[in-house]
Amino acid sequence: MTISAQILSADTLISGVLPALLLPLISAIVCLIVSEKYGWVVAFISPLFLLVSAAFAVYTCYHQLGSDPLIFNLTWFSVAGREFDINLLLNNISTLMMSVVSVVSFLVHVYSIGYMADDAAQRRYFSMLGLFTFAMLGIVVSGNFLLLFMFWELVGFSSYMLIGHWYEKPEAADAAKRAFLFNRLGDAGFVVGLMAIWSGYGTFNFADIDIANGGGWQIVAGIGVLCGVLGKSAQFPLFGWLPKAMEGPTPVSALIHAATMVAAGVYLLDRVFWIFAPPVLITIAIIGASTALIGACAAIGQHDMKRILAYSTMSQLGLMVMAVGMEAPFASMLHLITHAFFKAGLFLAAGCIIHTLHQAQHHSRDSFDVQDIRNLGGLRKRLPFTFVAFLVCGSALAGLPFFAGFLSKEAILEAALHWASHGQSWRWLLAGSAFVVSFLTPIYTFRMIWKIFMDEEVLTQNLEIAEAPPVMRFPLLILSIASLWFAVSFNPFDFNGWVFRNISDFIPPAAGASHHPFPWLSFASIFWIALALALAYFSRNASIRSRLLYEAFYFDKVIHLSVELPINFLGNMTRRLDRKWIDGTLHTAAYTYTILAHVVGWFDRFAIDGLVDGVAWSARMVGYSVRRFQREGVQLYIFWALFAIIIFIIWTLL
Amino acid sequence: MTPDYDLLFLGALLFSAGLSIVIIKRNMIFVLMGIELLLNSSVLNLVAFNRIHNDVPDGQIFGLFVIVIAVCEAAVGLAIVIQVYRYYQSSVPDQINELKE
Repeated sequence: MTISAQILSADTLISGVLPALLLPLISAIVCLIVSEKYGWVVAFISPLFLLVSAAFAVYTCYHQLGSDPLIFNLTWFSVAGREFDINLLLNNISTLMMSVVSVVSFLVHVYSIGYMADDAAQRRYFSMLGLFTFAMLGIVVSGNFLLLFMFWELVGFSSYMLIGHWYEKPEAADAAKRAFLFNRLGDAGFVVGLMAIWSGYGTFNFADIDIANGGGWQIVAGIGVLCGVLGKSAQFPLFGWLPKAMEGPTPVSALIHAATMVAAGVYLLDRVFWIFAPPVLITIAIIGASTALIGACAAIGQHDMKRILAYSTMSQLGLMVMAVGMEAPFASMLHLITHAFFKAGLFLAAGCIIHTLHQAQHHSRDSFDVQDIRNLGGLRKRLPFTFVAFLVCGSALAGLPFFAGFLSKEAILEAALHWASHGQSWRWLLAGSAFVVSFLTPIYTFRMIWKIFMDEEVLTQNLEIAEAPPVMRFPLLILSIASLWFAVSFNPFDFNGWVFRNISDFIPPAAGASHHPFPWLSFASIFWIALALALAYFSRNASIRSRLLYEAFYFDKVIHLSVELPINFLGNMTRRLDRKWIDGTLHTAAYTYTILAHVVGWFDRFAIDGLVDGVAWSARMVGYSVRRFQREGVQLYIFWALFAIIIFIIWTLL
Repeated sequence: MTPDYDLLFLGALLFSAGLSIVIIKRNMIFVLMGIELLLNSSVLNLVAFNRIHNDVPDGQIFGLFVIVIAVCEAAVGLAIVIQVYRYYQSSVPDQINELKE
């Protein structure tokens, strides 16, 4: 299917898209070049740039939502008659995503002013934050695979820099390296996918790809793109980096989990949904469902609040990916958007707790792991604002009614039911797993909320805990409001609201039947969630000590054994090969050359120089011997003259 | 062999002796004396040849001239030797090599 689109006029481009896209980049550059003396300026300038960028993005979205897609085309370079373009493709998905990304990023920037106030490397931090946002916005608006891939890699790089922001900590450096390598692993597949796309369709432009032409390449391309998504969106089996990435600063985690990094994969699936062949779609659905299950189960077994959130992100992303595989990219997109807000809110709220507890610990010289929920409790009285924000965002995550998460999750559940009822019976297995995940989500969410905020205080009685500064509370407020139902739809029980209606722009008519085939779904899911909540309440004090869940079914170990060890072994082998054979050959060649050079040098010194010296020496000798006649005195003179005369006479006489 | 040829032999002997002295001796006075010997041997030769071809006494008169000139030359030569000795504090011709340097 090709996209019918209008040409994007320069006016729209300049007045909306370009500023929104480039302002974060400018912010990154400014933060980088500002001198150390004026380092404090960064914390004001950078959020300001992002505010303007977000304003432009929202403005574009407001103008563009619901109208035809726009394309901006510019030939970049051409090789052998083939042209490579710089394409921007603005459709409803991308404008909406653009505003979500820039708004969340702006809020994270504002939050970072407070969170990173004491950090020495603020300039690097804000610079990379800007670059991260720029790269993600680039992914969002780019309309061809090549450009998208460049931004894709840029996202990988800046996430590496941000996760490893506190690189003095070995865990942070290791986590950054791990995230980068896992992404590389996926991107290797992505590159293959790109080649397949080029081979099959002869173009990278989304708008020009005609899937009817692809033939067998379509499956290869689909699998390749899926590989890239697996790495970037932390899907099974490449999810190991996501929990480890919690070593980065908490606002970065919020950004990674909500809008920029992991969202990129799901967004890509939604954007190029139509290039996937049916077998690839089924693979996607299976991978998504298994990731969702693994993530949800692992989240139950965690103690670290950031790790719980990380696994919950993984599980939610699994749901989104599964929805794409179930031919419902718009349900997936809807969940991506709502998830961006409430997950950012959860991370920022967790960041508030961590920040304030760290400061309190600093004053009282107390030290315990503030991220471990077993050490916390009863914080609702001490941090009422954070509690409410956490509760609102957590309810959205758990899918309680009147929150945005309820609607988007319902969209996914409905898509799952629809998909399962139109195929073989094994499809019910995947649909059922979606229900299991939505049952597990409230359990781990409310278990975490209970442990942190309710109950009695465990280790925090003696700490002087104060609410986070207003600059950190403001983003929380916005994100909490955006987690309520009207952010998506004004009817709290119908997900087909103003967002969903606008993003489903080129949905096939058969699947787009927006009437409710399952009118009982809302009630069923409310009942389902109530059941989960009850279970969560009654098991609130049960401590879960499952090593299996804590280690996320040991997939990290499996990856370690099956990928890291062989690659390390291969690396060692090649290193040894290199040192022994290739270096050895080189050394032998070097020795030969040295010896040859000595021989040549000797020849030069003795033969060629000797010849020249010999000429000079003989000249000197001649001169020396001739000079002797004059040196020896006047009598010898006479003698020689006489000698000559005698010879002359003898010669004449004979 | 006539006595005239004996004169020629004597002249040659004197010449050889003078030449040897000029070449060998390390003192400049001796060298000058050697030169005198050379001159005298040539005068002896002139006189001897005049006796062999004795139609006019050219040779003898020429000999007288040579003796006179030899006297002058000896005077000049001795003067030079004395000057050189004064300057160099040496009368060995080998040591007088300033021109060469």
